[in-house]
This record gives sequence, structure tokens and C-alpha cells, in this order.
Amino acid sequence: MKELVDQISARLRDQKIVVPDEEIMSRLKKLIEEFRVPESEARRSVLNYFLKEHGVVPVTRAGSEKVKVSDIKESGKWVDLEAKVLDLWDPATEAISQTGLIGDGSGSMKFVKWTKSGLPNLELGKSYLLRNLVTDEFQGRFSVKLNRTSQVEPLEKDVEAGPASRTVQQMKVVEINEPGLWVDLKVKVAQLWETNSDAISQSGLVGDETGSIKFVKWSKAELPSLEEGKSYHLKNLVTDEFQGRFSVKLNRTSKIEPLDNDVEIGSQATEFSGALVDVQKGSGLIKRCPVCRRSLAKGVCSEHGKVEGTYDLRIKAVIDDGRRVQDVLINRETTERLVGLTLDEAKQMAMEALDHEVVRSMIENKLVGRYFSITGPRVDRYLLVETITESLPITISDVDELIHALEVE
Amino acid sequence: MAGFSREVARRIYTEELKGSNYSFREGEDQHQYAPQYLLTPTGAKCNRVFMVGTLTEKDDIGGDTEYWRGRVVDPTGSILIYAGQYQPEAAQVLANMEVPAYVAIVGKPNLYQTEDGNIIISLRAESIQKVDEATRNQWVMDTARRTHERILAMTNAEPETISSDFATADKVSSSSPPEDVLRALQHYHTDTLHYKQMIIRALSSLKTDLGPVRKELESESLARPKATEKPPKEPAEKTATKITKPKKNESLNDWPDQENDEVETFNLSKKS
Repeated sequence: MKELVDQISARLRDQKIVVPDEEIMSRLKKLIEEFRVPESEARRSVLNYFLKEHGVVPVTRAGSEKVKVSDIKESGKWVDLEAKVLDLWDPATEAISQTGLIGDGSGSMKFVKWTKSGLPNLELGKSYLLRNLVTDEFQGRFSVKLNRTSQVEPLEKDVEAGPASRTVQQMKVVEINEPGLWVDLKVKVAQLWETNSDAISQSGLVGDETGSIKFVKWSKAELPSLEEGKSYHLKNLVTDEFQGRFSVKLNRTSKIEPLDNDVEIGSQATEFSGALVDVQKGSGLIKRCPVCRRSLAKGVCSEHGKVEGTYDLRIKAVIDDGRRVQDVLINRETTERLVGLTLDEAKQMAMEALDHEVVRSMIENKLVGRYFSITGPRVDRYLLVETITESLPITISDVDELIHALEVE
Repeated sequence: MAGFSREVARRIYTEELKGSNYSFREGEDQHQYAPQYLLTPTGAKCNRVFMVGTLTEKDDIGGDTEYWRGRVVDPTGSILIYAGQYQPEAAQVLANMEVPAYVAIVGKPNLYQTEDGNIIISLRAESIQKVDEATRNQWVMDTARRTHERILAMTNAEPETISSDFATADKVSSSSPPEDVLRALQHYHTDTLHYKQMIIRALSSLKTDLGPVRKELESESLARPKATEKPPKEPAEKTATKITKPKKNESLNDWPDQENDEVETFNLSKKS
């Protein structure tokens, strides 16, 4: 007990406060003996009590440390940084007064300045000494937060920081396997989709020789429009992920450069085997927009309005292996071979029946309930069928193998 | 964008399907449009099943509008399938089909409880297609594999986890596969050996079907008692009330956990 009293009185003397030992002792005793407060808690409580009595605000946290951006590897640390404002973004919420990117010679990092901090605004391109920031982390990426206790001091000298000190990688589509990466891609625009939000100016599919990926171009990015079938060097995209599927986003820092050479869209074929359980609406004999090749709904293209469509044959089906389902798209050539029906014959059939649906029914009769093995590239939720074959018949040795496995367990 | 995802069609032998008596709706608010699932003894949580078997009977049991009922047989037993005005394509196919025939059915399991508390599982067909024998053999193999996987998951589930999960047995929460396994163990006290033997029986009969001297073997084979014994026993089940009797015997044989069934029966009647 005496030890605790000495510790407390020493701490108080640091703040030029003198308190008789008896007073400290009686308070400590009360907490520890009467109220069963652990010693360390009691000491803190007594110390804070006397500091408060004498008008001193207790310092509860450790002092901040001056660091470089690249030193930040932990969240919840108090740090000081000398850094330059590299980019400013629009805050997503009113709770944030400013957000963007700051950097020094060692790297760059996101910062967030809370509205409640009451701090002056930072200017793009200016350098500052930022004191008492708190580090934070989200999905392995660090940021710093400016709060009420933080201080901002403009610096005379310019802090050296490369504008693109974050690492942007030139990548192939198939290599994108992580959200939040900054990447450059050389791609061709495979498809443009309807956008259903004002915040998005364009979205669709882009691809290179390794595969295709969804892209989203924000309206705020104020970038030129991409054209279907043209190839571009897209720089400074951010990767994103939703339900296991990746996409790239074009934002204000992104750049679009048209390419002279044509990028070939290829793909890495995947395989899937299972029972074909559904031939969906929009299969069979369909009409497509002569301009954009979209399928028409009652003679209307969602992009080009009422058009004189051209006939096509295709299958949208679902293959199911009992564990998961795979949507598949089968083009005209493969459909003709698989079903044994040419486009002309399909037109003839539909004409005689006065109904396009007969073609779909016929396809359904031939395919539903049977087992198929398919290969082809996966694009969004569809597997674009390149080969489709009926699964091999079961042999006695297949059966024996499984019986054996069951019996030995 | 891909908020809606299609339900996988599970592969389940009729014997296991008919041994099921636990169905529930998924989702926070169990409103009437929430998807309905049947949990089978080996832990398949199914909203949809895919089955290939032999259509042995078909009848129009409807009044003014057609309502078709068929019986489909697999190596482990048989199940009734239905198609009416809300499944027009399936009903048409069934109406025009000659029995017997190999058929592939995509359908939703349907749980019906008779007045005396027995539970009858049938399939509401979304689609019915005539297929060949090779496809039927593929299904028997496919279903053996999937059932085997479920049994493996079940034997891997630790006994402690089962008992600690007891409290949540009646809760309907979004379930990951292990949770389905635990729930199934909870509810059915599944005898995995029994279902393993069911698979072996099904595969043995498939092997006989594939064999070169098929006709002779089939008549004397003891390897497939279910498949040969059952059909003669079941034609008696023509209407719902008649089904009751043989059903009860059957579930006593296949499903010793009668007590447990009774408990669930009460819950179900409350729900519906």
C-alpha cells in the first residue's frame, strides 16, 4: 500500500501538486478494502481524482510518434506524419469533412478527417505536419484518421512524394484475384450494359487474351465514353469483388488511352459436368438487334428501340451437378449441332406452328434431364459453351470403384 | 446484381426422400413466400430435387381440370409425382407418355400429413422428360456419389458439436452445409450405416443392370431385394388414405425412430 502511495504522490509531484500521504492512503484503502477494487485500478482512480481536483486533465494515452507512411503497419496507433496531400475525394458521409490520399517519400495512404475534428481543410498539393493521427486498417489496407485531438500545421518545405507512389500493376484480367488493387489493363470492350444508376456512366465487360471482367465507370470520373469493340489501355483502375466475382472500377484518377492494335479477347476455359435441368425463356429462335446484337423483347431493343431484328438460334440453360448450378449460353453453331436443327429449319418450324416457342419446346425435349460435360470460358454468371458432349455412360468399373470405397470405410 | 440464385436440385434416393419428415421455411420472417426446404436424414437441404427413374403408373386424378399423378421407381423404392394446371408443360408430357418409361424429373419435394399423423413425401414436377437407360444409370451413380458425400460430412461432424447445437435445432436460420448436417443428426439421429447400405444396394442393382447376363441375374438376384419386392407391395397405395397403412409399416422398418417422428409431426401440424 505504501508503495502505491509513493507512486501516486510522485506522479502528482510531476504535475506540481502536493497532497498529504494520509489523504492518498485513505482513498486507496476505501477502494481496495471496502470496494474490492484491484490495486492497479485503485491507483489510477486515486491519481485521476487528485489530478482532477487540481484542474489537470489526465493524459490517458501514450504520446504520438513521428513516423513515415510506410512505417504504419498496425491500427490504433497514434502517429505524427509529415506528408503531402496527393488527392482529395468526395466524402461519402457528412461525418467526414475531408478524405483523400496523403504521401511522403515512403509511400501513400488514405486519410479521413472527421467533421467533428473541426480542423481546417487541407489543400491539394500542399505539405503538412499532421500530429496525433490514429491509424486504422480495413481489409489489410491502412489509413489515418484526423480527430478532435489532431493538429494540422502547414509546412514551408515541400514533402517529396510521387503522385503514384501506390503500386499500380500492369495486369492481365485472369490475374485479378483480390479487391482493392490498383491495376492497369490493356483490354477490348466486349459488351456495354444498361446502367441503372446515375452514379454510373458506363458498365459492361472488358477482356484481354486471358479472360473477361465486369467494369464500372463512375459518372464522377468524368472520363470519355468507351466504345464496344474498341481496345484501350485503362490505367489506374481499382479492383473490386462481389460474391466471389471481380470487377474493375474507373474513378477520377483513372485514365483511358485508345490502343491502335486490337486486343484479342480470349479466355481460360473451365469445365462443368452435370444434369441439364432447365432450358430458360429466351432460348430457341430469337431476334437480335441488327446494331448491338442484343436479343429483342417483342421487337424492341433496350438500347435502340423498335428495330427490324435478325433471327438467331441460341440456348440459355442451367446445368446442375447436385452441389451447385451453372448458367450456360450455347451459341447458334453449337445449338445447331447439338439439337440437329439449323436456323432455317427452326424458322420453318416456327412459321408452321405460328409460334416461336415450339423451337424452345423441342430443345427442351431433347436436352432436359440428360447429363452433359461442357467446357468454355466463364463470363459473369454464364459459361459460354465451346464444347458440349453427353457425359460418358456409367461402366461396371465405375460402380465397383464406388462400392469398394463405401465398403472399406 | 446476382441477388437471386437458383436452388440446386439435390440427388436423393426415394428411400431417403420418403424417410424425410422435417420441412421448414427459410428466412427471418417465415412468410408464405419464403422458400420451403425439406431436410433429409443425410442432411440434404432441398428445395428442388432431380431424379431419374422408371415411370410405372400414371393417372389423371383431377376433376374438371387435369391433375396427373405418376409413380417413379428407383433402385431403392418409389415415389409419387404430381403435375397439374400450374405445371402445364410437365402435365402435358405426363399425359402423353406411355408407361413404363425412363423419365427425368425436376421437382419440388412436397410434405403432406394425413389425418392420423403420417407423413407422405411426393414431388411436384416442374419438368418431366423421357430419357434413356444410360441417363437413368448416370443418375443412380450420381445420386450414390452425392449421398456418399453427405454421409461423409455426417460422420465427420463431431458428436460434441451436435449436443451443443441442441438449443438451436428448431431455429430456422440461414444454414451452411455443416449446420444442415447437425440439424439432420439432431432430428433424425441418422444411422449412417443404414444409408451407406442403401447406396451399396442401389449400386449393386445398377451393376446387375449393367451386366451382360442381365435378364437371368435380375430374376434371382438377392442383391436388390428392395427393388424387386417393393413394386408389388405398393400398388395398393392408390389414394392418400390407402397409402397410410403400408406407409406405416415401411417407416417402421426403415426408420426406427418412430418416437422422434411423432414429435416432429406435432410441430408440423402447428405450422401448417
